[in-house]
Amino acid sequence: MKNSEKVLSKKPKRWLINLIFGLSLILALFLSFQGSTINLLRWSTFGYAIKAMLNGFTEINPEFLFGYGSRQFVEGIVYMAIQTLAIAFIGTFLGAILALPFSFLAAERIVGKKASKIGITIITIIRVFPEIILALMFVKAIGMNPLTCVIAIGIHSIGMLGKMFSESIDNMDIGPIEALNAVGANTWQKIRYGILPQVIPELTSTTLYRFDINIRSASVLGVIGTLAGGFGALLLLASTDPHNQWNTIATLLIVIVVLVLIVDNISAYLRKKLV
Amino acid sequence: MNKFQITNGKTIIKPFNKIWFIIAILITLVIILWQFITYDPSMIDMSQLFVIVKQMFTPKNTILSQRTWGDYFAFMWELRNPLWITIQMSIGGTIIGSIFAIPFAILAARNVFKNKYISVPFRFIMNLIRTIPVILLAIIGVAMVGTGVLSGIIGFTVFSFGIMAKMLYEAIETVDMNPFEALESTGANKFQAFSYAIVPQIFSPFVSILLYIFELNIRASAILGFVGINGIGEVISVNRLYNYDRVGAAVIVLFILIFALQLINSHVRGKLQ
Repeated sequence: MKNSEKVLSKKPKRWLINLIFGLSLILALFLSFQGSTINLLRWSTFGYAIKAMLNGFTEINPEFLFGYGSRQFVEGIVYMAIQTLAIAFIGTFLGAILALPFSFLAAERIVGKKASKIGITIITIIRVFPEIILALMFVKAIGMNPLTCVIAIGIHSIGMLGKMFSESIDNMDIGPIEALNAVGANTWQKIRYGILPQVIPELTSTTLYRFDINIRSASVLGVIGTLAGGFGALLLLASTDPHNQWNTIATLLIVIVVLVLIVDNISAYLRKKLV
Repeated sequence: MNKFQITNGKTIIKPFNKIWFIIAILITLVIILWQFITYDPSMIDMSQLFVIVKQMFTPKNTILSQRTWGDYFAFMWELRNPLWITIQMSIGGTIIGSIFAIPFAILAARNVFKNKYISVPFRFIMNLIRTIPVILLAIIGVAMVGTGVLSGIIGFTVFSFGIMAKMLYEAIETVDMNPFEALESTGANKFQAFSYAIVPQIFSPFVSILLYIFELNIRASAILGFVGINGIGEVISVNRLYNYDRVGAAVIVLFILIFALQLINSHVRGKLQ
């Protein structure tokens, strides 16, 4: 046997891993379709559904979109988009401000190793609850209105932002604080001149990224009830009778995509400017 | 105060601090947007929050329905069927969406196809797909094939596709291109070079993204019940008005599942690296 053939025979058995991986994927796929009944009536009209969807895009009612004429402004979808923006913005703002004290409590650099465990635990517990569960809990306390969504998004953001804030505080450079110690600065001065200038760009960038995510959640959180704000009422209308609501679905699709794209691009632009 | 005279005769002007300007803009924006948050102050009763938490995590005990802890845990066991449906939808959507995403991710990666005219439009399409919320995709699924596992799979497929394509092309762009070039220099064509130099490098990121998307899908399933998709979300949305204990039981089961998935994910990720 030539040397090159010997080396080739020692080739790692990748195909075995690939085979096992592929087979388990196929098995999982098979299991996932088990028991799924195909509604033949609906399936036979699949082509019609696609055509209806494309028709829906062309039949968008401008009065419905902008809320003028036969509809009031508050019934228009543009109003809902602004409301979604408001929910996400105020929720993120609230979450970011409230996350600061929690993150200081969870940062090892500031409170020490033992005390930071307490802060980390609090933040983890807050983070576990999804926004929709929080919203369901706050509906009873606040009522079916956009404020519920704001609070739900704000509290969920505390958990998410608190974790990332405390990580960036832990990663900061200790040098400036030592220098401030050397010149005899007090605690407040150390925070103001030693910590804040270092962490603010990173915290802002994290918050902007969170705003991106929150605009996506805010646009769907309204499904907890018709009056809960955002696109909730329309989503519920579309979901109760989806095959006859292509018009609504198409309008929603366009408005949500445009809204999220705008927010994404603004936030990406601001984040690029910060770094 | 903004001018300082240093001993060597130079003057230093303190730079203008933009922070107050930014804070003013932020507060103005909050005040303007606050007008769109309509609420009734007289309805707010924060003590209800504790009542809700108690109702969620203890059996319902009123005159009409007297349930015990036995019923509470029996209901948790009954949840296995909706939970299985949720898992089915998530698995199906994750796998189909991820497989469809592979060619798109390769086309969007700039280090494999250096042509800008290929990668830019593909990236734009992927960004567009990623902005659609999974709940809207699920509604479209219901409109096309009716309620059932299949509509959930359709929604999750498109959702998973968007995330997988984005994360996979980012993973492909960070791989080491030297083996690729070495293979090309020995006369391998692009396909051979790709499958022997890049595929082994992106295999483990692919698996960890797959697991991450599966976890995301399970989390998203809580909200999908509100638009009539079967599964654990349906249990939450159906019982949300009168049977808080059932909502609580469903939430606990969902949390256990997500927690288990997170443990598995971190274990597998540790193994892969």
